[in-house]
Amino acid sequence: MSGKQNGRFTVRFTTLREEIEQVIVGCRDVIEELLTCLFSGGNALIESPPGLGKTLIVKTLSEALDLQFSRIQFTPDLMPADIVGTNIIMQDDVGKRYFQFQRGPVFTNILLADEINRATPKTQSALLEAMQEHAVTVGGVRRELEEPFIVVATENHLETEGTYSLPEAQLDRFFFNSRLRSPDLDELREIGRRTTTTSRYTVEKKLNRDEVEEMKREARGVDVAPAVRRYASRIVLATHPTHETATDRVKRFVRYGSSPRGTQALTIGGKVRALLDGRKTVSAADMRSVAKPSLRHRLILNFEGEAENVDPDDIIAEVIDHVPESGA
Amino acid sequence: MGKRSEETNTEKLVQSFRDTFVRMSDEISKVIVGYKDVIDNVLTALMSRGNVLLEGVPGIGKTMLVRTLGEILDLKFRRVQFTADLMPADILGTNMIAQDEAGNRTFRFERGPVFTHLLLADEINRATPKTQAALLEAMEEHSVTVAGTKYVLDEPFFVLATENPIEMEGTYPLPQAELDKFIFKLDVGFPGLDELDEIIVRTTYEEMPPVDVVAKTEDILEMRKLVLEVPIAPHVEDYAARTILATSPTSEFATDMVRQYVKAGSSPRGLQGLLLAGKVKALLDGRYAVSCEDINETAHPTLRHRIQRNLEAEAEEISTDAVISDILEKTPQTAEAV
Repeated sequence: MSGKQNGRFTVRFTTLREEIEQVIVGCRDVIEELLTCLFSGGNALIESPPGLGKTLIVKTLSEALDLQFSRIQFTPDLMPADIVGTNIIMQDDVGKRYFQFQRGPVFTNILLADEINRATPKTQSALLEAMQEHAVTVGGVRRELEEPFIVVATENHLETEGTYSLPEAQLDRFFFNSRLRSPDLDELREIGRRTTTTSRYTVEKKLNRDEVEEMKREARGVDVAPAVRRYASRIVLATHPTHETATDRVKRFVRYGSSPRGTQALTIGGKVRALLDGRKTVSAADMRSVAKPSLRHRLILNFEGEAENVDPDDIIAEVIDHVPESGA
Repeated sequence: MGKRSEETNTEKLVQSFRDTFVRMSDEISKVIVGYKDVIDNVLTALMSRGNVLLEGVPGIGKTMLVRTLGEILDLKFRRVQFTADLMPADILGTNMIAQDEAGNRTFRFERGPVFTHLLLADEINRATPKTQAALLEAMEEHSVTVAGTKYVLDEPFFVLATENPIEMEGTYPLPQAELDKFIFKLDVGFPGLDELDEIIVRTTYEEMPPVDVVAKTEDILEMRKLVLEVPIAPHVEDYAARTILATSPTSEFATDMVRQYVKAGSSPRGLQGLLLAGKVKALLDGRYAVSCEDINETAHPTLRHRIQRNLEAEAEEISTDAVISDILEKTPQTAEAV
């Protein structure tokens, strides 16, 4: 019975991925990370230079799901009310005035927060609160958001003038941090072919709300053996420069290691990977396969690391190499 | 037999595309003095479903150009002057409280100036970023969302935005991600002596000559469809893609000049621009196939706003146009020669 269910998870996941790939060229790792995030109940942060199709990926995902989608372009003058909504004054039949809440674009299922680092900190935190709580509070009234609710935020590191970097504590709230790379020659040609001819693909709805929620539950239900759970914790501890298991590069380049949220991402992300592989238990390899998107935004480099432009991915690779699968 | 009639049919379509395009261009020139290349590039962008950013000083006839375009195509035209205090609702529209016969109050959507065919966004860099973003979203999606309701814009929808030279005071430069949404950036220079003289002749004696309607909405939509259908040979497609990669300093295809002076190269949108505008150029030359020359011809307006120069280039005053010319010169037209 459970074996059959696992098969269904994989089929649904693959159908969804393939539908997105009808539109998006390449970027399979980012698409898979995004879907893993969705089924893990987490939020995603995508880093990329402009024009590589971040918006298109998220929009296509929302088209392939029978869910609502909104997009907010973050700018320096965006205010919290532009995201969560605002109270406006109305008048009833007898001329009495009352407040009516006008819902902001956050009331949706999939929210694309484009170039989140261009908004001021107060506006960023309004979104991050919604992300964390799945609810917003305006004028003292708390309003729940509908499930599933996933925020996909994008950041552009190329243009840093006039941007407000997300503080570490807020970065930590993103389940995965994905990186979109530039297309190569063949991918570029395929993009040209798909976008400049008469043939346009119309995305079909592949999953509805209930199916998504069911898949989220299935993912949560996957078992993790205590030894594998401890492996996730050992990886996270090895990213702390003051811990005894810290690797050389961690000691040299890292100021702060990953928070406990890193272990949650490794574990839940690992559960989705296990299901995709048709297993009911998470292996150490499942966790390794999600280590980079789970941890790269949670490592805070020290001055030397920043100065030498060290890539957190290299540090994570070293940590993975050094941490034994079994041990204390 | 069937094949032959298909061929002559295509020939006819190409011929009629070219004729209509030339008629449009000539009709605009009845009013606008000079700027033939700017007019042709604006029409090329219109045919490619792109939007245009014009950079130039005030008073050189940008509004006149767009208004005339609207008149000869019998399209609706609106102009929005961007200012530092312009709000998104001033462009998109807003929900007004209205009262019906029974005295009940309801919301009614009052459509903003974006609900048109041709929109002139004058001095776009004078508005604050949120307002700029509101327009750019409409431009990209051809729809606007106000208070949770989506409104689809009529086709064709074409935005012509103008920008003062960046150094001017009190302006908010467009971020790279937004610049990238324009298919062309055209630099409009100051008219020469002869043109200035002709402007005086045309504008200070009698009324402007009336212009004729030379094409209808359906014609434009048909022409746009034909553009998409123009085939591109694999080697031309390959050349265009290598040209795009050559703008990126970290690519194996980068020229020495790009490695020295460029901070970041073009996104894949640059490739879409090259291919679509290249198709229009091919049709204008009476061909139903894109050549490498067509790509070269569109490279400067398509790529100049997508290549970001580094500090060294700014210090040495190396223009992106110079970088693009270098790329076109050094990028071989056939892959074998690499």
